Amino acid sequence: MITAATKRRTAVRWFALGVAAVSAVALSGCSGSGSSSGPTTITFSYLWSGAEAKALEKVIADFNKSQKAIKVVGVSSPDAQKQLTSMSSSNGSFDISDNFGNTVGSWASKGIIAPLDDYLKSDGVDTSQFAPSALQQMKYDGKIYALPIAVHTQALMYNKDIFQKAGLQPPTSMDELAADIKKLTVRDAGGNITQIGMGNPSTSTLMTTLGYVFGGTWDGPDNKTPTPTDPGNIKGLNWYVSTFNDAFGADKVAAFSSGLGQYMSAQDPFYTGKEAMVIDGEWQAVNIPQVAPNLHWGVIPIPASDSSLADTTQVSTSTLFIPSNSKHKAEAATFLAYMVGDKAMTQFTLALGNLPSKTNLLDSSAYQDIPNFSVWLNLLKSENAHALSSEPYSAQYATDLGAAFDDVVRGAQTPEQAMQSVAAKAKSY
Amino acid sequence: MSTARASRRGARRQTLLGLAFASPFIIGGAIFIVWPTIASALYSFTDFNLFQAPRFVGIANYSQMFQDPTFWKALVNTAVLTVFGVPLTIVISLVGAHLLNLPVFGQPIYRALVYVPTIVPAVVGGYLWRWMLNTEYGFVNYFLGLLHLPQPLWLDDPAWGKPAILLMCMWTIGGTTIIYLAALKEVPAELHEAAQLDGAGFFARFRNITWPTISPVTLFQTIVTIIAYLQIFTQPYLLTQTRLNESSGGPGQSMLTYAMYLYQNAFVFLKMGYASAMAWVLFLITLVVTLLLLWSSRRWVHYGSDEER
Repeated sequence: MITAATKRRTAVRWFALGVAAVSAVALSGCSGSGSSSGPTTITFSYLWSGAEAKALEKVIADFNKSQKAIKVVGVSSPDAQKQLTSMSSSNGSFDISDNFGNTVGSWASKGIIAPLDDYLKSDGVDTSQFAPSALQQMKYDGKIYALPIAVHTQALMYNKDIFQKAGLQPPTSMDELAADIKKLTVRDAGGNITQIGMGNPSTSTLMTTLGYVFGGTWDGPDNKTPTPTDPGNIKGLNWYVSTFNDAFGADKVAAFSSGLGQYMSAQDPFYTGKEAMVIDGEWQAVNIPQVAPNLHWGVIPIPASDSSLADTTQVSTSTLFIPSNSKHKAEAATFLAYMVGDKAMTQFTLALGNLPSKTNLLDSSAYQDIPNFSVWLNLLKSENAHALSSEPYSAQYATDLGAAFDDVVRGAQTPEQAMQSVAAKAKSY
Repeated sequence: MSTARASRRGARRQTLLGLAFASPFIIGGAIFIVWPTIASALYSFTDFNLFQAPRFVGIANYSQMFQDPTFWKALVNTAVLTVFGVPLTIVISLVGAHLLNLPVFGQPIYRALVYVPTIVPAVVGGYLWRWMLNTEYGFVNYFLGLLHLPQPLWLDDPAWGKPAILLMCMWTIGGTTIIYLAALKEVPAELHEAAQLDGAGFFARFRNITWPTISPVTLFQTIVTIIAYLQIFTQPYLLTQTRLNESSGGPGQSMLTYAMYLYQNAFVFLKMGYASAMAWVLFLITLVVTLLLLWSSRRWVHYGSDEER
């Protein structure tokens, strides 16, 4: 029980330090208002809350202790609408905030967020360390407008017990995956599905990922043009249709999915064995031991449809950015540089169970204790790691794609029809 | 002569005093209602994203609407909800008001119970209904199963999304019911007694006494409910909400209403000009529908006796 005692002692020390820091700040606030010697206070408004906010506050406290010039005040504000409206006035309410990578282009093009290149140079941030697929989302018109604090990749998770019972090995190709899905889907006499070979926690993520798996691209070779009808995308969608709709019936799949328990809860269908496999992100590796400790699961990269397309994955990012209406951009950038530094990024991504965005951290021993985490970590190094573009059109494109994917899943439209309708809409973006 | 001048001065004083007392409303109305209305009309002719200066584009936003399939989808969805929702609201709340008017034991409790859902915050109600409509764990399908009725996929089936919205709307019908209840109290009891003595049954009395007497209230309720349905947002938004401020519109966009698509354009796609134009089109639609209803009311709404008018 030494560990518990030490833990408690460290906690006490932390608390004491916190009290000291707070009182120091309060005192300096009283005496130093208006004087140039006091620290510049910047506000970090973040969408995270709960345990994630707590982890973030720890990083903030470390930063505040590490230097005297800047004091960061963290505010948990999970309202994305408020975040946006605050940035539309000349006087903003925060100096740094977070969102998802797909907003960067839209916001940059409208002048909502500030370009960071000059600050990154003066603060010594080496942008070549970031995973290229993640960094691509941060750029608009050649400039960097945000930095990824955490990233996510997609891999194929499978239930070891179900595989063992069926005498199957994890699939090594998309054809094998399709065959395994058919073998592992259980239906009653009426054709009603009681267990499915592969689940679908997010149709948009699954379909865009399948497009990449079959060599497709959603934003063209220039990363700036919506290309929903790319042959690879159509192949990916058709793989879904033939594996699920043609084999089991779209209505049966819908009936099965609509009754499933809540994602990531104890009733999550993958945790309860209602889904034998699922393509999902690395956050599962941290969640499963907490919510479903008895689940025997493994994870492999999504099987390749072709040998040149091995280790294909979709990358998504959580970003930090500085709004254009911030009065303390330089100070915010200094803090941003600290946040994406090795120590803070490791600490924060570990707490969230997310991947670090810098390739030099991927082999860090810090992540060793998370079961199966290395598969997702390694995928970030893959040449076939792709991220959706973050262009001004991205929000509308994602909405239209979402509706079209939904039509494909319900069997209301063929992949070709659905993607052509998106292409027609994309002309007016 | 001096008295006349004094009284004129007094009148002007009165006017100024009156304006002074009304000034909070006049100033507030000008700043918060009149100016935004004018501004949105101006923005509707521009390309405006909230952050950069608007750029004049003529009627491009209006002509784009005609070619935008999602706009038409949202408009049709809203029309369907209105066409079914308004009569349902009127009929159910009128029947409910009659039931609540019956002199039975515990009458005040029933009246309170009918009104209670209206007090529940809309967002709480929305998440509540998402659970109620869950096909596996929800109460709605549980009871349908007990009655051996089909159990629809509600929020996952394009055919059942709108009924789900209507179901949720009917849950908060208490406000309309209470207004009808008050109207029923105003129906002269002596007319009912006289008709009863003449041998008129319940339906004859309803048609000839109750319905004409409460027709002005029905007109009011219909207009208010139509406007509410044309602007319906909260219920479908909450039932289809996915992540942050995005909402999907449900399976096959079957639950994407006009107001939701307007919101999407304004705050997700940041197309304020297009959203403003949509708001004005909705305003014109509402105006036309209301005027049609008012015009038709001459045939079916009775305001007291003819001698008084």
